[in-house]
Amino acid sequence: MTRFMMYMTFISLLFFGIVGCSEGNSTNSTSDNDSEGGEDVENQEDVSLKLFTGKVETVDLMDELIADFESANPNIQVEQEYANDASNVMKVKFASGDVPDITTVITQDYMDQDRYIDLSDESYWDRILPSIKELNTDIKTGNTFSVATNVTMAGIFYNKEIFAELGLEEAQTWDEFVSNLETIKEEKPDVTPLFLPGKEVWSLGHLVEFMAHGEIKQELGISDSRKAFIENEKEKLGFSDPEGPMAIFAERLMELQDKGLINEDALTASYDNQKDAFVTGNAAMISQGMWVMGELLDIDPEVAGRIGFSPYPPLKEGSKPVVLSAEDSKYAITSASEHPEEAKKFLEFLMKDENVKKYSEAIKSPPSFTDVDADWGPIKDETNAVLESAVNIQFTDWPSGFSGDDNGRMVQELLAGKYDGSDLTEFAQEYAETWNKAWESTQ
Amino acid sequence: MYSLLNRINTRLHLFMTVPAALLYGIFFIYPLIQGIGISMTDSNGVTEPNFIGLQNFIEFFNDDRAKGALMNTIYFAVGSAPLLNIFGLAYALFLDQNIRGRTFIRTIVYMPAVISPLIMGYIWYFIMQPQRGFLYHVLESMHLGFLNGNWLADSSTALNVIIMVNVWQFVGMTMIIYLAGLQGIPGELYEASKIDGAGYLARLRYVTIPMLYPAIKINVVTNIIGSLAVFEIIMAMTEGGPGYATESMSIFIMRMMYGSFTGYSTAVALIMFVVIVIPVFIFLRATKSKEMEM
Repeated sequence: MTRFMMYMTFISLLFFGIVGCSEGNSTNSTSDNDSEGGEDVENQEDVSLKLFTGKVETVDLMDELIADFESANPNIQVEQEYANDASNVMKVKFASGDVPDITTVITQDYMDQDRYIDLSDESYWDRILPSIKELNTDIKTGNTFSVATNVTMAGIFYNKEIFAELGLEEAQTWDEFVSNLETIKEEKPDVTPLFLPGKEVWSLGHLVEFMAHGEIKQELGISDSRKAFIENEKEKLGFSDPEGPMAIFAERLMELQDKGLINEDALTASYDNQKDAFVTGNAAMISQGMWVMGELLDIDPEVAGRIGFSPYPPLKEGSKPVVLSAEDSKYAITSASEHPEEAKKFLEFLMKDENVKKYSEAIKSPPSFTDVDADWGPIKDETNAVLESAVNIQFTDWPSGFSGDDNGRMVQELLAGKYDGSDLTEFAQEYAETWNKAWESTQ
Repeated sequence: MYSLLNRINTRLHLFMTVPAALLYGIFFIYPLIQGIGISMTDSNGVTEPNFIGLQNFIEFFNDDRAKGALMNTIYFAVGSAPLLNIFGLAYALFLDQNIRGRTFIRTIVYMPAVISPLIMGYIWYFIMQPQRGFLYHVLESMHLGFLNGNWLADSSTALNVIIMVNVWQFVGMTMIIYLAGLQGIPGELYEASKIDGAGYLARLRYVTIPMLYPAIKINVVTNIIGSLAVFEIIMAMTEGGPGYATESMSIFIMRMMYGSFTGYSTAVALIMFVVIVIPVFIFLRATKSKEMEM
């Protein structure tokens, strides 16, 4: 009988435990429902917005801006969430229904799926550079699903002291670029002419995005090249063409490697190695974007006087140098947001001139607003000169299954000697196949 | 009443398995069934998937990158699992003897295993960096600079280096299990075999190894599973590069999963499941007959 009582007690505990849990859940749900019901009745109740970002460098700054916003709008709370691999995390969020109100992850696929709301009628567009508005406009619908507070640039950062000492000029052609590198190698054997951080595939991917794709962007212009990338217009892209941008890019990169003009550890060097080499004068040139500026200055503030900035040299004869001039710090409001008006209010707050100025100066990036005069960095005048002299290009609109990182891995294979140096069309063919496969998977 | 009590008594053990069975069902069986379903679709993780039958599985065998990842994984497991067991057993045999400082040596050998493979990978990446790594400077200072090389950048050496690091890190774990096994062998068996005139090698072959079968089974199975599922150490040291030269199945699945190929990556995950189960099953069958002989 004692054993029987023990079994019954155990079963009862288990039963009541389950019922208890289930009641707890139902209580919670009721409470949630009550809260939502109350929200409908009383619009002045607190609203909570979620901001999802992939920009680690702005997390603290954004927290400050959020605090300012919340003190001005006590009924709206903004919760910032950062993820390192934001684009992938965003995919999971969309799939699971845990969608933030505002996000910095904006892709063409999601625009095609109506995941964002149209911001075309917002008041701040009159203050934004027309080229940035164009880059934020969806070429398929003509709607503007995102807004960017800043402009970012990428090109070749060079050591001005080394250039002055050796009497070098910024290269306007590929031959001049190679000649500069060769001079540095001969005159300064301890200095790496061009330092590539090849462990970081995103950085190698930028070489494809800005140099190889730069030829396409230059030839077609911003709108047509965006359309060509988004709609995979194979003829215009010419990825598999033996004389197209990918084959020429491969040939040029192999030329640099064969002539010993890049670092020997180009495949394993990290981003930190690249920054250190540049700041210490052990590297004469690096390919990077404006995002590196703050980090270089953190390592050694005195490097400011030594930094020069030039566009990427053209790969083809007859082409012009190119510089990335694209939208940076983009935001979109998701169509799943239950509080779009409050989300718009938050974006309007971010777009206020004093906030854009504060943000631009903190991340050392030029503002996209014409009415904001921010002292964003020591090479402000040089970059303005480059923007005027070189062809301005945008980021590539990738198919979501073929990221910049995937491009970087293909460049790694190239540098590791996978392709026969005498016939680099195989690289171009493989690139085209990978691109097409990724593009088709999203259709 | 007695009959009811008797029935509860005999069924109680089944009842006690309910919580475990529920957890197993929710966290293993249900996702597995879901996974089988997703693997037969063209799901990209966001839009509505379409049923495509076994196309993803067929695609795997036509995908050079996937086959490369499979070969890398098998190569890693074939290199790693035996070395872990050979060195683990050697350490255990050595440190099972009465030698001075054996506790200290055991601690030193085991210590790397408690560190995350990701951190260990980064440490070795920094050690092995050409021109600026610790190893480079050590070899240079010993006038052995000619031995320096960029092993992680060379497709033919990168995976071997990762195997060595993995073995170095986890050999202590294998050693501990073997040591526990060795300490469970009755001393009388050794005394009897000595009386019968058996030397060290004979004792090792006819007493130690057979008595260690349970430990061998645990070590081999866990090492095979661990090696075939390798992820962190490769991500830290090479990120699967150069190119895809060291990309493992786990890394490939993760990249496909997040690269709009959710259905395909799920199919590859199921293939990986089979790849892991086959050698484990074969080994367990083989050792079962050996244990039966004992």
